Amino acid sequence: MRSVIEVRHLTHVYMPDSPFEARALDDVSLTVNEGEFVGLIGHTGSGKSTLVSHLNALEKSEPGTVFVRGIDLGAKETKLSDVRREVGLVFQYPEYQLFEETVERDIAFGPANLKLDEEEIRRRVRAAMELVGLDESLREASPFNLSGGQKRRVAIAGVLAMNPSILILDEPAAGLDPAGRRGMLELIRGIHESGVTVVMVSHSMDDVGKYCDRLYVLSHGKIALSGAPAEVFVHGEELRGMGLDVPECAKLAAALRARGFDVPGGAYSRADVAAAILKRFGKGGDAE
Amino acid sequence: MMNVTIGQFFPGDSFLYRLDPRTKLILTVALIVLVFISRSFIGFALIFLFVLWCAFSTKIGLKYMLRGLKPLFVIIALTFALNLFLMRDGETLARWGVIQITTGGVRTAVFMAVRLILLVLCSQVLTLTTSPISLTDGMESLMRPLSKIGFPAHEISMMMSIALRFIPTLMEETEKIRRAQMARGADFESGNLIQRARAMVPLLVPLFVSAFRRADELAMAMEARCYHGGAGRTKMKQLRFHWRDGAAVGAIAAMYALMIAFNALGVA
Repeated sequence: MRSVIEVRHLTHVYMPDSPFEARALDDVSLTVNEGEFVGLIGHTGSGKSTLVSHLNALEKSEPGTVFVRGIDLGAKETKLSDVRREVGLVFQYPEYQLFEETVERDIAFGPANLKLDEEEIRRRVRAAMELVGLDESLREASPFNLSGGQKRRVAIAGVLAMNPSILILDEPAAGLDPAGRRGMLELIRGIHESGVTVVMVSHSMDDVGKYCDRLYVLSHGKIALSGAPAEVFVHGEELRGMGLDVPECAKLAAALRARGFDVPGGAYSRADVAAAILKRFGKGGDAE
Repeated sequence: MMNVTIGQFFPGDSFLYRLDPRTKLILTVALIVLVFISRSFIGFALIFLFVLWCAFSTKIGLKYMLRGLKPLFVIIALTFALNLFLMRDGETLARWGVIQITTGGVRTAVFMAVRLILLVLCSQVLTLTTSPISLTDGMESLMRPLSKIGFPAHEISMMMSIALRFIPTLMEETEKIRRAQMARGADFESGNLIQRARAMVPLLVPLFVSAFRRADELAMAMEARCYHGGAGRTKMKQLRFHWRDGAAVGAIAAMYALMIAFNALGVA
């Protein structure tokens, strides 16, 4: 597998030499491979947001290096616009960055900054709106009159219209109701399936467990745990110590194991745990 | 943008922190007047000694205080240069055409620069050691007599404390939006003046929208807790003068006496 993002020994200190000095990242190394769906988990203030800013060259990587598709983001000759074309970054509450009069013009802001011709911009805006599930009729609407969930879709479309091959989302489901949350995550799954490498920051274990191939757990600016969801979720105690949790089904599996039932350690999804329980109690049949 | 220390509160606990904010406000004004009264470098040394004491007794440190001078560096340098080249007093040290440097010019240039630096340092002692809340409390209390003639003392101090409270929030917000737009390829740094001004639109529109939203939410939250202006409103923290305040007034008065003596004796 080819790696598209390589972070090596990255450290970031905010406001050095002042009473407000804060070490946000401490010797962080991680890799994201082509076509992966990687989850980045951590408690508030664990350095997640600082880390994703580095991946888009919004912060300087010093000390440490960040490579995106082999480009060293710290190097002087690196053109930042090349990196930002490659990596799409969707911040937390992205709806607060909307500013244009119409949805169409707001989504076109990114592609216009790439100096594309008008025909191409129009094509991309239409494609991005379709991808995020916004109706054609909203093209001329003011983004400020939309609902919260729709605004967020406009903001994400604005990033997607730049055609990034890597998409990074910081808490994309924050502040949405359960239905909006599911819709948003399914939307991201769809984007991933269209061939985009996705990095999702979240603190919901259920969400990352359901969608991600691989997880990194950040705690106090350090990578505390990493691996496939099943490998991470067996460290229930450690995760709780970091102010995090494991998915509800993994808790059930652990409780059953503690009582001496034979449930595999890696089971965390609803289907796996249900299957294990059904197997144990001899009913067999459909897990869902 | 985040490195501006001037006007920033530095949390701590010491003699200066425990002074009544009214005392500190009045004494800071007195200290600034003192900087203007001083006609000698000895006088400046006296004030600088006082600033040093402030810096070390509060554990803020001189280095941190001097950082507050950074935004004013241009003004200080300009004053210094203007005085140096334009004053024509005393002996001539060097000359190029119409420009000449004289001994009097050097003295005035250094004198003015030191005066400006001391002004900044003295006013910084106030803002560094007084939380914005107690600062506005002190101002409200000092302005209260004016409310008899219809001056809205409470409203002004409430507006000030809200404004002060939201400066860091709005700065953070600006930074967030700036990054979000930069991630979408916005360029805030290059281009001519008109291009740069137009590049600010994607930053300013979301910022205004969010500022209005915050103001609306804050007003709602205040009304929900029965805020209806200053009349009849009591304070949780009552301001009271202590022995410390007397000691501080005494110290500044002593500095005044010394300064007047220096001036009268005509020391350098």
